[in-house]
Amino acid sequence: MSSTTPTAAEAELAVQARQAAVRSQGYWAGVWKRVRRDPVTIACAIVLLAMLLVIVFAPLVAPHDPYQGSMIRRLRGLGTTNYPLGTDELGRDMLTRLIHGGRLSWFMGIVPVALAFVIGTTLGVLAGYAGGRVNMAIMRTTDVFYAFPSVLLAVAISGALGAGIFNAILALTMVFVPQIIRVAESVTTSVRNLDFVDAARSSGAGAFTIVRVHVLGNVLGPIFVYATGLISVCMILSSGLSFLGLGTKPPEPEWGLMLNTLRTAIYVQPWVAVLPGACIFVTSICFNMLSDGLRQAMDVKG
Amino acid sequence: MFRRFVLAACLAALPALALAPEAHAQGGTIRIGMTAADIPLTHGQPDQGFEGNRFTGIPLYDSLTMWDLSAADRPSTVIPGLATEWRSDPADRTRWIFTLRRGVTFHDGSPFNADAVIWNVRKVLDREAPHYDARQVGLTASRMPTLRRAEKIDDHTVALYTSEPDSLLPINLTNLFMASPAAWERHRANTPNAEAAWNAFAAAPSGTGPFRLTRLVPRERAEMARNDGYWGEKARAERIVLLPIPEANARTAALLSGQVDWIEAPSPDAVPQLRARNMVIAQNPQPHVWPWQPCFTQGSPLADVRIRRALNLAIDRDGLRELLGGFMAPAVGTVAPGHPWWGNPGFNIRTDRNEARRLLAEAGYGPNRPVTIKVQISASGSGQMQPLSMNEYLQQDLRQVGFNIEFDVIEWNALFTNWRRGCQDASARGAHAINVSFAAMDPFFAMVRFWESKMAPPVSNNWGHFNDPRFDQMIAAARNAFEPAERDAALARLHAAGVDEALFIWIAHDVGPRAMSPRVRGFVQPQSWFVDLRLPSIQ
Amino acid sequence: MFLYLIRRILYAVPIALAVGFFCFMLVQIAPGDPINAIVPPDAPGDVVEQVRRDYGLDKPLPVQFGLWLFKVVQGDLGRSLATGRPVWSDLSTAIGNTLMLATCAALLGFIIGCLLGGVAGTFRGSILDRVATTIAVAGVSVPHYWLGMVLVVIFSVQLNWLPAMGAGPGGSSDWAWNWEHMQHLVLPAVTLAVIPMGIVTRTVRGIVAEIMNQEFVTALRGKGLRRLDVFLHVVKNAAPNALAVMGLQLGYLMGGSILVETVFSWPGTGLLLNSAIFQRDLPVLQGTILVLAMFFVALNLLVDLMQTALDPRIKRA
Repeated sequence: MSSTTPTAAEAELAVQARQAAVRSQGYWAGVWKRVRRDPVTIACAIVLLAMLLVIVFAPLVAPHDPYQGSMIRRLRGLGTTNYPLGTDELGRDMLTRLIHGGRLSWFMGIVPVALAFVIGTTLGVLAGYAGGRVNMAIMRTTDVFYAFPSVLLAVAISGALGAGIFNAILALTMVFVPQIIRVAESVTTSVRNLDFVDAARSSGAGAFTIVRVHVLGNVLGPIFVYATGLISVCMILSSGLSFLGLGTKPPEPEWGLMLNTLRTAIYVQPWVAVLPGACIFVTSICFNMLSDGLRQAMDVKG
Repeated sequence: MFRRFVLAACLAALPALALAPEAHAQGGTIRIGMTAADIPLTHGQPDQGFEGNRFTGIPLYDSLTMWDLSAADRPSTVIPGLATEWRSDPADRTRWIFTLRRGVTFHDGSPFNADAVIWNVRKVLDREAPHYDARQVGLTASRMPTLRRAEKIDDHTVALYTSEPDSLLPINLTNLFMASPAAWERHRANTPNAEAAWNAFAAAPSGTGPFRLTRLVPRERAEMARNDGYWGEKARAERIVLLPIPEANARTAALLSGQVDWIEAPSPDAVPQLRARNMVIAQNPQPHVWPWQPCFTQGSPLADVRIRRALNLAIDRDGLRELLGGFMAPAVGTVAPGHPWWGNPGFNIRTDRNEARRLLAEAGYGPNRPVTIKVQISASGSGQMQPLSMNEYLQQDLRQVGFNIEFDVIEWNALFTNWRRGCQDASARGAHAINVSFAAMDPFFAMVRFWESKMAPPVSNNWGHFNDPRFDQMIAAARNAFEPAERDAALARLHAAGVDEALFIWIAHDVGPRAMSPRVRGFVQPQSWFVDLRLPSIQ
Repeated sequence: MFLYLIRRILYAVPIALAVGFFCFMLVQIAPGDPINAIVPPDAPGDVVEQVRRDYGLDKPLPVQFGLWLFKVVQGDLGRSLATGRPVWSDLSTAIGNTLMLATCAALLGFIIGCLLGGVAGTFRGSILDRVATTIAVAGVSVPHYWLGMVLVVIFSVQLNWLPAMGAGPGGSSDWAWNWEHMQHLVLPAVTLAVIPMGIVTRTVRGIVAEIMNQEFVTALRGKGLRRLDVFLHVVKNAAPNALAVMGLQLGYLMGGSILVETVFSWPGTGLLLNSAIFQRDLPVLQGTILVLAMFFVALNLLVDLMQTALDPRIKRA
């Protein structure tokens, strides 16, 4: 059961954390060297970086106003003059909407994971380092959330709270916190008993210092890599919530919502209608491959 | 064992992908894809709004008065149903005499008579009745607000009593469907309580309608067979199958792949594809209004009749119709010209931007000083059509005349609740107009609840706190006009006055689009929310 | 072993209770008055109060929880606010349908995943490995409800090979294992299978690669043992973990089919949940989530016990 057996990924990360801790000198340099030699990971990183730049500078890059449409030019196809990617159901420029939509989609993909990273790492490290009853309390609570498949948990919380960005972020954060707690706890536990931690403890260093210097320094990397893999899941989940009408509200551009509102146009302009889905797909696959590449690079054996 | 079976099934399915599904034998069965997510309740008082009345109300049951759904080219009016005639008692205007149709039997064979009418009135109005069902009250009481009780005069005559003189009662009674008391009593004998008996009744109901329910799989399908003993014109189709398909794309795909013969509300963007595959698109204006309802209290720019008129004149309804792929009728009043209640308004609603600008200037606004109007809208909702696209279109369109429109987008249920709270309530958040669409076949729902001063919140939907003694008098006159012609004339005067005062920003009527296979013959789309399922058949 | 079994089962009890509490609270944190889902807003006030009493919505929270738990233990999940039918009556048929869909999808994903993962793990680093891993990543990265829509347009609307929606000509209640019904299962099952396919591929690839690297396998191969023996060895060692992953995937699919069921109008728990959310039918929302979560807890337990039975080397604290 997932509540007692760590998943393969968690076990792998714990091993990596131990490796990182033992060879902290030069370990990350080695990881970086290996990543540099992996063309796929580098390509994904470049694609994501390019997307990020375009999204951040959306108002400068986008050719049109994302909200201004016209009924006369609604649902134009790919390659229309001035509208290279066509127009949506309200005659708004698709390219512009996709660029601006990336902002909210990335936001919805990253923020819940980032929040979960902060909360989950804090609680997980606390549980792993303190052990005993604290560990018991935190981990058993986590087990309860593990009793829900993640889609179900997200739908349950945002379905009960109602639609909206805030509620969706809350729901998604609650989906990922337990997962990150699990990983943080298991890597912390594996680092905690290493010799140099013991040494630090016996030399009279305070718990806070030990955690800050020795534990966090070694566990953050593996947890971070794990979290990057969650971004892809989070994007698909958040766009799924929008598809169910539980996420972003119109007229805000967001890929999941665009997919939702454009789906009736799949008979008129199929290629335009699938664009937001393709954007989610590309982003999500890049994050996944990036995370895989990082994980592989950190695995000394591989 | 099960797993092996499933495995075999999945594997078997793979190479068989290329096989085409065989055509199903039809035999006069019409399969309909509804927009509801569930089969509307079948116990006689359907839920799911008027789609419920359309598919599990009218086909399975009859009411004392019914809608004439036989023609597409004239407004649907009230005709005799299980009552052949009715009149109000001149001595006591709260008392109505209904003469019942003879020789009608329920699907279970028991007779329809005065006792059955009284039993059906009590099921929603008499808390002491053994068969009183609280769940049906919510779906019924608000649609016949003045009815109080029924009394038997003889086997084929009943008296109905209202709380005040109300000439609109016969129209309201189209919502009270007659279920079989005998069938219910049989279910009651086998169940622990009345609620359970109603549930059992819903699974095997008995009415007097042109179809009887033969099979009910909740959330998946309902099957109805022709009632060969129907008292009126019998149905042509042998069977009707109802399938809930809430997702618009799934409905379109189901029709295109031949899984259903008829779908409700295809999305406008799928229509070209449907037409290309020879599907027939039916539409007709419905007694439905998609308006902005103004706030008339001090401080609201819409308290000024010139601004209300300017808005009505500035809207490009034809452009909006284009946005909806033609599936909309421009609204220039609560009812359309030609309707018995139309009257002869002096204010001619049309698109005339120059006149709109002139009126705005007169009210002290102009291109350099736009008037800001905040409208509370929803992102979805029953009867709301395509609220976001439509409102965004209006926002863009009105900007050029000098209107700065702002939206407060809230959840549909919340909007619907706010509608009862009024524009001075905190829930309105300072909005000057609210965008709730409504059904307009009944004068109470069409006009009275908005324009009578005592209908102000929290009583009913006079959201804008409209208060004009002139209108109160006209409404009282209509309520007390018991001759149909006289009543229609009173309502026409009321409607004309409402248009002259621009009491709404009238924008659109829904046209209830539905798409059907060319094999469906004889279908008539009346000017109504309802259809007569007796007419179509399949070839 | 027996003690472990008992302890493991006992451990599931507090989890189940906590899951129940979470589900109860779900309705309490929901904004708005659930009464609005039962009566139209223009119903008179006394009717609203009457209905509120009839549904027990006027009692204090702890009492409501107590009553709720007491009933749930007896199998009474309450009544749907929208239909008045017992939640369980709709839920039981929906669960059967979802289980059927999820099982098919899990098996489909498992078979393809094992094939791809096995190939990728055996020939690690080769072009085959690249292709298989890319398919796997694509599987977990694709928004599957979108994939479902595309499949409908291609296979139902354009080619007219497969039905677009529903569970067969007579609805799920007269389901039969014949082509007429099974064709309805194909598109949703394929759509839903892409996720477990991706995950199983990755897992199996990892397991196989690890086993292949083990010294004794290398030794076996060096001795020129038949390929089949090597293969059997790999299967034997990979089975417990692969099985665990598959079991959990079935659980994830049970809970995660909401989007796919919505696209295909498949009459399962997902569609039920979707309409419950739209109608704000909180008892149905609550009951469905509770039962799915309990199913997942039970499945986890089962997988765990099976894993222990199959692989005694796994040490249990």
